[in-house]
Amino acid sequence: MGLSIVEKPAPAGEAELVAACVAGDPAAQRTLFRREYPRVHATVYRILGPTREQDDLVQETFIAVFRGLARFRGDSRLSTWIDRIAVRVVFDHVRERGKLPIPLGVVDDEIAGPLEVDAQAHARDGLRRLYAALGELVPEQRLAFALYAIDGRSIADVARLTGVTSVTAKVRIWRARRELMKRAENDPVLKEQVT
Amino acid sequence: MKRITVDPPQSDARRDRVERQVFAKLQTIRVADRADAAIPPTRMRGWLVASAFAAAGALAVALFVQSPEVRVSEREVPSQITTPVGGTSQFTVGDAVMVAASDTSVEVKHGSDGGITLVLARGSVDCDVAPRNGRPPFHVLAGDIAVEVVGTRFTVTRTPSPRVDVTRGKVRVTAPGGSWLVGAGESWSPQVTASNTPEPASEPAPVLPPVAAPAPVPAPATTIAAMPVHHASSQAAFLAAGRLEASDPARAAKAFRTIASGKDAWAAPALYALIELHATSDRDAALADCAEYLRRFAHDPQVEDVTWLRVEILRAAGRRDEARSAATDYLRQFAHGSYAGLAARIATPQ
Repeated sequence: MGLSIVEKPAPAGEAELVAACVAGDPAAQRTLFRREYPRVHATVYRILGPTREQDDLVQETFIAVFRGLARFRGDSRLSTWIDRIAVRVVFDHVRERGKLPIPLGVVDDEIAGPLEVDAQAHARDGLRRLYAALGELVPEQRLAFALYAIDGRSIADVARLTGVTSVTAKVRIWRARRELMKRAENDPVLKEQVT
Repeated sequence: MKRITVDPPQSDARRDRVERQVFAKLQTIRVADRADAAIPPTRMRGWLVASAFAAAGALAVALFVQSPEVRVSEREVPSQITTPVGGTSQFTVGDAVMVAASDTSVEVKHGSDGGITLVLARGSVDCDVAPRNGRPPFHVLAGDIAVEVVGTRFTVTRTPSPRVDVTRGKVRVTAPGGSWLVGAGESWSPQVTASNTPEPASEPAPVLPPVAAPAPVPAPATTIAAMPVHHASSQAAFLAAGRLEASDPARAAKAFRTIASGKDAWAAPALYALIELHATSDRDAALADCAEYLRRFAHDPQVEDVTWLRVEILRAAGRRDEARSAATDYLRQFAHGSYAGLAARIATPQ
């Protein structure tokens, strides 16, 4: 049986919100931003890790969203459409940026949650190693793996967001994981993260 | 496969900052779109209109290039291009791409030095010419008007009134009244404007290639003077200032201030950018900018953000009472605004 991806249609009310945004209603635009920001922010963060460019990319995503909203046809959920844009923005960034290490100073400020000092340091180190290892992957694999294993998306979602078939998405995730496991063999902190 | 837990940090302040920046940029984009729409179509297609205008002695435009662009040839060019009324023709000469407008006749001549000269008998032609650095010279003759191209894209229009619009690079317009540098996004027009004085002509007039020019036409009755088109130049300056923000905030602030002091559509975005820039470095200046913004642009879409920024700046400065008062002001104007919840908490602390 072949794979097929069926997208859910936009719920009632979403069309009105989109129409109001397209018409230039500032309140509707703010509503849309506030509704979608947490998910976009989380997705970008989980793909990239704690970087200084994070906010710029979220910003770029929303500018693209508002500029392209008139072309949104409601064939899929608005959130899916926005996520596709976010993934595209991040992918372009990763591709352009290349394999640059994540500066430690950035990681310091970004650990969330009320952890104890030792645990914080450990989490910080784990996060740094994880994203440093992800940074060594080819962008397509990194993106697929991060969406699946970190952002918690399904294979179908990863395929949909990255514009490939589910089989391709699976292969990318599998290859990314294989690469990470190789690196983790000599890195117990990273191993803790990925196994 | 194990899922990896990474919890993104949650911060309303961070979200608010991104939100403000998104809507400020959208506002900037809207202004840019309006400015683009206001540019007359001749900018894109009219180049040298040779038939009707009584030209001023000699008009020479020397171009100094910033961004080269070589485009794909559409077809090789014959020595004479003639387009019918209502038709256009795109052709290439070496690395230059030209579009001859309706009812245009242009002859292409090759000099002994490899240089290229277009002789425009009538109509107009739009030229996109790569930098001449090392390349053969490129000239255009239209009556008594001579244009020496170093490399850029620009439009010279002769009817209904003479005008030079520079799309890319920089040009020097030389005419009997003096010489003017015109940058990308700027325009020059020989209208009488007493406020504009020509810059000292420090460079010699371009040397024309050895080709036979059409017969000279009578000189115009008007005095030549510069007339910058502010929208386009402000846009270029705004973008340039934005690029400086990270590397040289002081220069960026100065540039934003210059634009903000103007009266065109870029003044508001520039002042907003200045507020954002000052908010982290000079809070008093940022507050003064906010006050200026709210006074000058009371009906601008960014007013809500500026009103809220004022609250944030005061809070960051530790001026609690003033912040509370500013939050109350915000609520008075934007009872259901984006920051109403937080404003209410600040205005009426527990």
